[in-house]
Amino acid sequence: MSYFFQLVISGVVVGSIYALSALGFVLIYKSSRVLNIAHGQIIAAGAFITYGLTVWANLPIYLSFVLSMILTFFLAMSVERIFLRRLIGEPIISVIMVTIGLMSILDGLIYLTPFGTENFSFPPFLPVTPIAFFGVSISWTQLVGVIVTFTLIAGFSWFFKKSTVGISMRAVSDDQLASMSIGISVPRVFGLAWAMAGLSAAAAGGIIGNITGLNFDTLHAFGIVVFPVVILGGLDSILGAVVAGIIMGLIQQFASGYLDGNWGLNGTGEVLPYIILLIILLFKPHGLFGIHEIERV
Amino acid sequence: MKKYEMNRWLLILVAVFMITLPTGGFAKVYKLGLSLAITGPTSDAGNPYSKGVEDYFNYVNDTGVLGDDTIDCTIRDDQYKNDITKRNFEEFLDDGIVFYLNYSTGSTLALKKDFEEEKMPVIPASFHAGNLVDSNYIFLPIASYSAQAIGLAEYVVKNNKGDMPKVAMFIHPSAFGRGPLEDVQKAVGAGLQIEIVEVVEHGKDLDNTAMLKRLISKGVRYVISQTVQSPVATMLKDASSLGLIASTFGEEGKLTFLGCHYTGGNDLVALAGDAAENFYWTTSYVITNEPGPGTDAQLALAKRYGRDEKAANSHNYANGMMVAQVATEVIRRAKAKDKEITKETLYQELLGMNGDNAFQPETTVGPVTFSPTDKAGVDTLQLYVVKDGGFQSAGKPFIPEYTAKIK
Repeated sequence: MSYFFQLVISGVVVGSIYALSALGFVLIYKSSRVLNIAHGQIIAAGAFITYGLTVWANLPIYLSFVLSMILTFFLAMSVERIFLRRLIGEPIISVIMVTIGLMSILDGLIYLTPFGTENFSFPPFLPVTPIAFFGVSISWTQLVGVIVTFTLIAGFSWFFKKSTVGISMRAVSDDQLASMSIGISVPRVFGLAWAMAGLSAAAAGGIIGNITGLNFDTLHAFGIVVFPVVILGGLDSILGAVVAGIIMGLIQQFASGYLDGNWGLNGTGEVLPYIILLIILLFKPHGLFGIHEIERV
Repeated sequence: MKKYEMNRWLLILVAVFMITLPTGGFAKVYKLGLSLAITGPTSDAGNPYSKGVEDYFNYVNDTGVLGDDTIDCTIRDDQYKNDITKRNFEEFLDDGIVFYLNYSTGSTLALKKDFEEEKMPVIPASFHAGNLVDSNYIFLPIASYSAQAIGLAEYVVKNNKGDMPKVAMFIHPSAFGRGPLEDVQKAVGAGLQIEIVEVVEHGKDLDNTAMLKRLISKGVRYVISQTVQSPVATMLKDASSLGLIASTFGEEGKLTFLGCHYTGGNDLVALAGDAAENFYWTTSYVITNEPGPGTDAQLALAKRYGRDEKAANSHNYANGMMVAQVATEVIRRAKAKDKEITKETLYQELLGMNGDNAFQPETTVGPVTFSPTDKAGVDTLQLYVVKDGGFQSAGKPFIPEYTAKIK
């Protein structure tokens, strides 16, 4: 039975990190209906900034983590200001194409630094001995990752539901013209959405980097790995990202734990989430929590 | 004034004559090409590899290893994309290269027919045994991944205490990962006393708890990895967190982790940190943690061309340096025999690199030997283990026995 609970714990840990990684997609889509293909690169940049501040600037890692989120907040905001602001009102496909170009630019810039081609690891800062209870264990790295993830997700949820800025962002997402007519600055909302996505990406990068080590290929791949989570949850739902992330994490762990290695099966943890995604989308084409818009003409 | 001008023109003519005579008259330039991933996937290996190649050829030219002749090796980034590799290779052909250095398993397999058609001697950075199937012109610099995995399995058999050792293979989901698995299975069929309990093809896993606990529940005691460092590092961190890493080789109820060339080296320690402790790794290269003539030469070369500590101490830098050494050596030998330097003569020199003509580059733990029936350069392997945050030798260099048995 402890094996089952161990898989549950691992699934929730992995799923919550997926959710945090997926959050950046959701935040941008929620306000601007744009899919940011360069999200993986921003995740990697956040992790590298944390490392640089910790190791090269000798700052405590907790402070580096927070500073990295702040820096990536402004980095992402600048990206929106420089590359995407001019595209407001243009077809969405044009904006998505720009994010593909942005991905190449960020790739190129990171390859100019040692992070592009070398491997690094955060200095140890958490106890090595895992927390164990009733035969189930969770490492401190994972536990801290989960706590940070849920804190950020709760913060973002509150922000969108209760704060004036958050509500104005949702309004822009619903109808840009109507939002402008009541005095909401659409460009400012877009900039803020990108900035908040950058912040969440930095947090995700720091957590993933602490688990896997800092390897650019591994880190930026998470921009794609979490794509099924975003689709399953519904592109514009924070709650959807959380639920879908945890569902995906649990499916992966249970598939790996109970199917792999039996009946000649292997790698089901990689494939099964996609199969289940397809099945769910057959019945819920907008994802579990995505808004189903009905246009009356 | 007229006399002054005449003198000036005379001086210019003499200078031009002096400059052009040696180069235009006698010195030759041999063109080589290298296409590899300096950026993109696996560039953590490709980048130091390219530096090793570049620095060694610069050294050859700067110190006159080939007399007045020089090597002009064009190095191009292919971002680990086969289509770019092919385009690079075709451009190198247009430039008239006489020797080609390739990189990945995928591109080597994809371009195998091109190499055959062009009759171009090729040394890739991939040690995939399948590169040699239906090929005459591909030469592996060191023992294949298959030989490495079999060597690790043999080490397990020799050092395991108790019943037949239960082994899991942790492999990359590609020909690079799967090739050695088939050969280890053949070795088991030929009598190698291990039981392969499970084969795990990894993905981009953030948590390997389920897999590790499953392996333990099946009695697995050894995990042999044939992949790159990053997934191994994540697995080691999870195993460390679960308290599953054996502190002594083959410790009961724990897992002893072993891996082939591209799983190990300083990069693994950089990624996995303390969790890399007691990881066993095999390669044919000497490592700078253990100074010797080869590592001294490696570090001196890196210093001469201003490389940082990380590149200087990378086994992939040694890897690049070594293939450049081999390419230089075949040119030197052909020159010594007054042969014209062509792809054909260099191919023949490679085939003759055996017996008394074996080449000892000192960056490897054994000599480089090639023949018409042996296209893997260094047959000898060295086992290393991480102790106190760095790799160190475990035992003496060895040649896997079952590699020959399954041929």
